[in-house]
Amino acid sequence: MVRKRKKGVRAEFHTVKRIDNSRLVRNVEPAKMRSLWRSVALGGVVAAFFMLYIFQHFRCIDLSYQLEDLKGQQMKAAALNSELKLEIAGLRNPMRIDVIARRRLGLTEPLPTRVQEYEAPDGAEVAAARYVRPNRTP
Amino acid sequence: MRQDRVHVRLLIIAGVAFLWMTAVFGRLTYLQLFRHSDYLARALRQQQRTFEITPERGAIYDRNGQPLAMSVPVDSAFGVPAEIADEHLAARLLSGVVGVPQEVLESRFESSRSFVWISRKLPPEKADAINKLNLKGVYLQKENQRFYPKRDLAAHVLGFVDLDEKGLMGIERELDSQIRGKSERIVVMADARQRWFDGVEAQRERGASVVLTLDEKIQYTAERELAAAIAKTRAAAGTVIVMNPNTGEILALANWPKFNPNKASDAAAETWMNRAVSAIYEPGSTFKLITLTAAFDQGITHPDEIFDCENGAVYISGHRIRDHKPFGLLTVSDILAKSSDVGAIKIALRLGAPKFYDYIRAFGFGTPTGVELPYESRGRVERLEDWKPISLGAISMGQEIGVTPVQLITAVSAIANGGLLYKPHVIAELRRGEKVLPAEGPLTPPEPKRVIRPETAATLRRLMEGVVLRGTGPLAHLDGWTSAGKTGTAQKIDPTTGRYSPTQYIASFTGFAPINNPAVTILVSLDSPVGLHEGGDVAAPVFKRIAEQVLAYLDVPRDVPLNPKLVQTAYMKRASEDTSALEDFSVVDFSGQPDPLPAASQTAGANGPGRADSKKPVLTVAADQGGDIDVPDFSGKTMREVTDIALRLGLEPVLVGSNLATEQSPAPGAKVRRGAKITVQFGTPLEKKSKTHAGIRN
Repeated sequence: MVRKRKKGVRAEFHTVKRIDNSRLVRNVEPAKMRSLWRSVALGGVVAAFFMLYIFQHFRCIDLSYQLEDLKGQQMKAAALNSELKLEIAGLRNPMRIDVIARRRLGLTEPLPTRVQEYEAPDGAEVAAARYVRPNRTP
Repeated sequence: MRQDRVHVRLLIIAGVAFLWMTAVFGRLTYLQLFRHSDYLARALRQQQRTFEITPERGAIYDRNGQPLAMSVPVDSAFGVPAEIADEHLAARLLSGVVGVPQEVLESRFESSRSFVWISRKLPPEKADAINKLNLKGVYLQKENQRFYPKRDLAAHVLGFVDLDEKGLMGIERELDSQIRGKSERIVVMADARQRWFDGVEAQRERGASVVLTLDEKIQYTAERELAAAIAKTRAAAGTVIVMNPNTGEILALANWPKFNPNKASDAAAETWMNRAVSAIYEPGSTFKLITLTAAFDQGITHPDEIFDCENGAVYISGHRIRDHKPFGLLTVSDILAKSSDVGAIKIALRLGAPKFYDYIRAFGFGTPTGVELPYESRGRVERLEDWKPISLGAISMGQEIGVTPVQLITAVSAIANGGLLYKPHVIAELRRGEKVLPAEGPLTPPEPKRVIRPETAATLRRLMEGVVLRGTGPLAHLDGWTSAGKTGTAQKIDPTTGRYSPTQYIASFTGFAPINNPAVTILVSLDSPVGLHEGGDVAAPVFKRIAEQVLAYLDVPRDVPLNPKLVQTAYMKRASEDTSALEDFSVVDFSGQPDPLPAASQTAGANGPGRADSKKPVLTVAADQGGDIDVPDFSGKTMREVTDIALRLGLEPVLVGSNLATEQSPAPGAKVRRGAKITVQFGTPLEKKSKTHAGIRN
């Protein structure tokens, strides 16, 4: 005869494992540690190399920009220098100076070295004076 | 089982990752290895810009380093048609700024070219206006533009350039290949924002700079006095040349009419002509200098020999030649001083055509002088075998021969410096930066050529002084310096009749100063003056004004004392504000003064111009004290005695000839400064006193 199992609560058994691995100490293998650090260092060097390469590359581009900027400024300064020289040359035009001297300042041609004070008629201002050496008789 | 499932999943993921990486690396490999050149070319096309920069044209300076011509970068606008979105709008906007018709711009923008000019060499305000429009496809590029800051000063010497800075006239044309330089090519890399980040410049060869022999101030003096003379005489044209007779350097070369090389295209083409080197004219009486020089050098006459000038008329080969005045008996000195054509003809007949021709060619007539200016004419000298019977007589008085002003002044300079013919030149040196370039080819100064003996030159100098002292050129008498020269009044040929015109003349004066150790030779020529037309009347005063200013500027010691006396002063009421524009550069003529002085103003020792004070008018005058050494009388002394006396006094003797002293210049009693040169001529005292009567010797 088959006996039916009763449906009902099953007994559960909890076993509590208290695991204490503190007494376990993993021994570090020096060779593997060295290998590890070597790998880290090598990786660092490679990374540094790439970083340096990338840094130089973009630094070079950046400096090129600055160089071209400076070249542009230099060209502008040279152009300004040329324009100023041209302006100075124009201001020093003898005709311009002559016109300013004669018309604006009332100057006339100077004669040689010695200078004497001489009183002119009242109310008049000298525009020009000309002295003529008497011609020699033949 | 479960582990197998995990393992399979890992394998699948690894496989997918592997396939993905394979695809990526494969693509990279394909791009980097197989398509590398294609993509590199595309990148360069996008990033690389190539610009051709116009070469920097060398500047032109005067002898003192003052710039007369220089190039300055200015903006030029260009378009890239492919980048212009709306050609119509762009053309409309730009047309209003640059002044180019809209249709013209539209047709340029519609072309298939990658580069089209919109307008070149723009003034700054127009360039700014284009910049502000900020049109896509429209850019500004720097180009060099030639400027002449002194405007029309020395225009005929400098010349001018076209839009591409190619020399068309003057030095700009003559030295175009040296001044121009070579193009500069710039290759730059540009990013997406069109900022340049990597530029490479090609080797740049700049144009050479030119230093001229011209002196800016002497040039201005010459131009100003020429302009005043033209205004006064209403002449059609004129030329002034100032030369250093001891080197051949041209200190000033002025022509009228003149033009502004900054706007050369606005002036008539006739004004571009450099008359000093290109215009041929019959020199007239000035050529008597060559006649007499040849005669003296050949020893066939001497200054005191008397010729019968036939009361002003002589017949040669059936032609009657008349003097401007009826002269009787004249010494050779007076033939030159009074400019007797009859006397000159008789001297030439004695000289003979072959020898006369040799001297004409020796002085450089009929041959270009080699001055470094374009379009120089060789003049017109008929070959000896083509001379007609009347030619000897005609040429002796300056007809039937064509000369250029530069040929004439070169010949007179040879007389002034003691007989050496120098090549006239306007270029002192070429420079590239600070480095002076070696002279080569036509720029190499040749050795001067001796054409006459020093004694002949000394004799001619003395005779030419006679022209000024007692002859036809008294208005060339300088205040403070000795001067010598020869007047010329040549009839022009009327083109309608082919004969000499009775009304049109070329008035000229060629001379030098001081007589001893001449510092400058000056030629003044006026074409067709109205009214007074004699060289002594219209050209000699111009010589005087130029010479006095130039000699004072060059600080040439005076060799005659000054006796300053105020003769004439003009006064004006000056307006409280002078409203005359600085652009009005018309010449102020001070040569004719209307107002006589009140008696109280004429006091001895008072002289010169001054500047008036608005409160108390005061005339400030200047007077020269003259030299401080009396020139002794060297007559009859030996060379050693003359040298001893001169050196003791601090003078520099110039000894000509041999035996005993017969003549000297300056004359005894003249006041000179320490270091002045004294020319003493030596010979046999009897030669000076002998006088012969010469008839016609044909």
